[in-house]
Amino acid sequence: MAGDEADDAAKIAILKDALYDKVRDHGSELRLFTQKDLMELGIIPAGNLLLLVRVVQALTDDKLFVGVNSGAGIAWRWRSREDAKKYTSLPNDETMMVYAVVDEAGADGIWNRTIKHKLNMHEAVVKNCIKYLETKGYIASMKNVEHPNKKMYIKANLRPSERATGGPWFTDGELDSVFIAELEDIVFEYIKTHSAYLGNQGPPRDAAGLRAPNKGIVKTEAEPSRGVKRPATEITNDDQAGPTKTHHADGTATSTSGAAGRPRGKVYLPMPAGYRHYPTVLDIAQMINDASFTNNTTLGPHEIQQLVDVLTYDGLIEPIKVNGRRGYRVTRPTKQDTVAFSERRKQREQDGGVLIDAPRMGVKPPTNGLTEAPCGKCPVFELCEEGGPVSPGNCVYFMQWLDIEDSVLARPNGAVTV
Amino acid sequence: MLVTQNGAELCALLIDEIYGELPSRIFAVLLNRGRSSLPQLVQYTSMSPRQLRHGLAVLNQHSLLYFDVNSDNGMTVYEPNTDNAYNLARIGKVLEMVDTSLSPSAKDVMQSLLLSGQTRISDLVAAYQSKIDHASNVAKLVKDEGDDWPELNGTNGDVQVVKMPDTSINSAGQLNSVLCRLVEAELVEVIHKKTFLSPQDILRDVEKETLDKYFLAGVKGGKGKIEFQEKVADGLRKVRDESKSLKRKLEQNGTAAKRRKLFSGVGMSNGNGTHEEESGDPGLDPKQVIRINWEKCLVELRNRRLYQFVADMIGENTAYVYAVLLKLLTKRLARCRLDPTIDIKEGEEDIGVGFVTTDEILDNLKTGIDLSLGLGKATKDKISSKAAEVIHEHPPKKKLFIAEAEVDGDASADEEDEEGSGSESGESDAEYEVRGRSSAPVGNGTKVKFADAAAGKEQRLDRPGQLRQHLLLLAESTQHFVRHCGPDEWTVDFVPLMHTLCEAELDSVIEQRSGKPGLRLVRLLRDKGKLDEKSLQNVALMRKAEVQQKMLEMQTAGFVHIQEVPRDNKADVKKSFFLWFCDIEKSATHLVDTSYRTMVRCLQILEVIRQQEKDVLMLTKRTDVKGREKDVMRKEYYDRYSRFRENEKKLFAQVMRLDDFVSLLRDF
Ligand code: SF4
Repeated sequence: MAGDEADDAAKIAILKDALYDKVRDHGSELRLFTQKDLMELGIIPAGNLLLLVRVVQALTDDKLFVGVNSGAGIAWRWRSREDAKKYTSLPNDETMMVYAVVDEAGADGIWNRTIKHKLNMHEAVVKNCIKYLETKGYIASMKNVEHPNKKMYIKANLRPSERATGGPWFTDGELDSVFIAELEDIVFEYIKTHSAYLGNQGPPRDAAGLRAPNKGIVKTEAEPSRGVKRPATEITNDDQAGPTKTHHADGTATSTSGAAGRPRGKVYLPMPAGYRHYPTVLDIAQMINDASFTNNTTLGPHEIQQLVDVLTYDGLIEPIKVNGRRGYRVTRPTKQDTVAFSERRKQREQDGGVLIDAPRMGVKPPTNGLTEAPCGKCPVFELCEEGGPVSPGNCVYFMQWLDIEDSVLARPNGAVTV
Repeated sequence: MLVTQNGAELCALLIDEIYGELPSRIFAVLLNRGRSSLPQLVQYTSMSPRQLRHGLAVLNQHSLLYFDVNSDNGMTVYEPNTDNAYNLARIGKVLEMVDTSLSPSAKDVMQSLLLSGQTRISDLVAAYQSKIDHASNVAKLVKDEGDDWPELNGTNGDVQVVKMPDTSINSAGQLNSVLCRLVEAELVEVIHKKTFLSPQDILRDVEKETLDKYFLAGVKGGKGKIEFQEKVADGLRKVRDESKSLKRKLEQNGTAAKRRKLFSGVGMSNGNGTHEEESGDPGLDPKQVIRINWEKCLVELRNRRLYQFVADMIGENTAYVYAVLLKLLTKRLARCRLDPTIDIKEGEEDIGVGFVTTDEILDNLKTGIDLSLGLGKATKDKISSKAAEVIHEHPPKKKLFIAEAEVDGDASADEEDEEGSGSESGESDAEYEVRGRSSAPVGNGTKVKFADAAAGKEQRLDRPGQLRQHLLLLAESTQHFVRHCGPDEWTVDFVPLMHTLCEAELDSVIEQRSGKPGLRLVRLLRDKGKLDEKSLQNVALMRKAEVQQKMLEMQTAGFVHIQEVPRDNKADVKKSFFLWFCDIEKSATHLVDTSYRTMVRCLQILEVIRQQEKDVLMLTKRTDVKGREKDVMRKEYYDRYSRFRENEKKLFAQVMRLDDFVSLLRDF
């Protein structure tokens, strides 16, 4: 009888190895094998169900098989021998159970509270187990962008899933704004230079030309070429630029035709209608990956689409469909600066961005009456009323805007004669 | 005009500024109390009937009132005309517009009309006659006597500089012909017996008349109701058209352009001389009373605004082409916003503005404009002329206006593109060109020439070809500035276009106030509808903290709004989630009101600095100082005076700039 048992054990051991090897041949660690699948592998002689159950049980005990409750009843998947060894090397059942739960969670990781709930164990116990597993290097803590405040664990040899890391836009669970800004710059520059034509500015208009129709209504700024430093005085004067330009009550003020104020030079011009080569998302993705701006992350069309959408929302570019091909082009082309990308970047670095009165990308939005007037950006706008503590009567913002010193306010109103 | 408290305050201040305190006070009371009779006004204001009558007369003279005589008791009731009161903020712009689009002398006449309000033509002629006589007398005596043009409001200094330009009227015949031009352009209209009825009163009268005339037995059934409405609309239209009686009379004699053609043999391309031909203009009926037609002025101002948009968004030369197109297209357009009860008939499509042909535009382009400028170049294989030349016979469907905006490139325009896309993508160039040509209008053979131009820089497009390129560019724009509505025919769908441009204007305010991140979030919401904070972060690629801060900031500013959605019917706030959205209409209304308030502040500040410089200003009122300030006054005082004048100008300009904004959001 004893001999039988020994025989039996040996038989099981052989079958175990044979079944394990066969199963590994038939699929990855993720594949689920049902009882029928296992039987059909032909290892277990004569369709002996009882024998199969014993072999599988033995494998499960060795942690080489993992039982999974799938929809259609129980099924198994295999586990590598190294992994299995980790299990068997664990000191007690609790630790093993905790490790199993973390293992189960896979690349998404698992919250420590969830472990506790799942296993219905005491918090201290779970804590101990986790500590043990961590020091052993079996599991590691991780960050999940979807739950930034939860303490999550993951099997040490797994890489966190996209869902957990948030994809290429995240670094260590934080949105990588610098990286995104960098890419936005590059994408915008690419679209700008590929969707408009760098041509020459026309000669200044003659008086008989454009002047008549637009006299006094064009509120173009006498724009210095963009990206070029503007003296501080010019910046502070900006507020006053609006009104002086438009008022022509006496009919003598000169026209402010946009081109006249700008030096003659290169300018971006819109492409003729029907242009078929506005950059598409695929073009841009290609460019980004060819130039390998991004080390060790590849950006797919999906990510580029995200960037392009954001730039569209920023009003910097617009989608344009020609014959069903959706490309993107820069908005307000003639207003864009023509300073080369690297050049502008250098300037920006030199001043630390202080003196450059230009946005990072594109052009400043046109101003209007509301944003120019002091009230438009007044912090006490809602409180201001005649007779109130803040009122037009004592408004400092307007006095600055009009360039009136305080001393004038205090001037006594005496008799004035010629 | 929807009158908010700020709006009311603004109207009163504008009237005060231009016509003085008395009318302004009465106007404010009317705004406050609504329709009132004289005895009621006496009660409200504690002014004497004499004063009130005087003030009301001024208001009436300047079309700032509606009044109605009650047929039962003969009592007259007055109502404020807020639209016209607000229009006072536009005086400067309108004069500017007349100056450039008609002539300096037309501006002069317009200015007289603004100063004196509605005027009988004979009175206007008389006023000018005495001025002409006076001027020639004076000219004989002293060469550089200051002008004696009346100032409006003694205390304020002139609102519009009233120096008579050299180009002013110097003969009665010239005056007549200038008036004819203004009438033809509809910038000036005739007063008739219903002019001073408020819109509600007109409607009431017309309804009553219609009932008496056609529906003695009463309006019965659904069909009867429709018929009634149509008849009322007819009646209203008739009333409205009465103000154009002068123009119609002029047209019966043939339009000015035709007459000129007869006289000079060939049509003068641009009769922009300061001395209009006096020949051929019929004398206008001296008994007619005329006034400024603000509605038409607004159409012109809108054209200018559109020009600015194109200049900013596309380029100046294209904008110039656009300006010409608009001018031609809106010749017969009486107002910016059509009245739904009168202008749009049930079941019919919108009465469009018609269209303009390429040739008409070409005929009206100034020869000095170089159309080869302002467009990029591309070789012909890079251009799909089929896509460029797509014709859209019908305006976009209403639903699309909002969904499309500019964010989404595939509006109706693109759907049609799509149909051809499959076959087109694989085409060879040769095939391509053939197709392009065959589908192109027979017109001026642009296609071929265009290809030449792209091939070699030296061979340039001819002028019609260049013009066409600009027009196609406008048609292709995401804002849909122009619709290519038939071979060589172009039109503008103002309603959706203005909607888009309002959004663009809102965008620039938002960007100025909340920066690019703010703009990004708002436009994202507009595109996607309602979103929770999490989705906002994901789509905008922005950090949580930044999104939260921006959204709160913009909620305070009225750019975005939030909605609470409870998870269950217990409506536990802790459990509900919050959705952000943005309501363009709401934001716009809010900003318009903010603008009123800002305009009010500008005018109040003006009053403040006027008080500061009261002493100096008093001095300039003295007859021996007036007109010779620089020579007579001590330097110290003169400097203060000119500083004040400068600031005054600046503040007025600011008010006008604010009006640019309000006009776009509210009236265009
Ligand atoms: S305090 Fe000055 S700037 Fe502010 S709202 Fe009042 S008037 Fe305008």
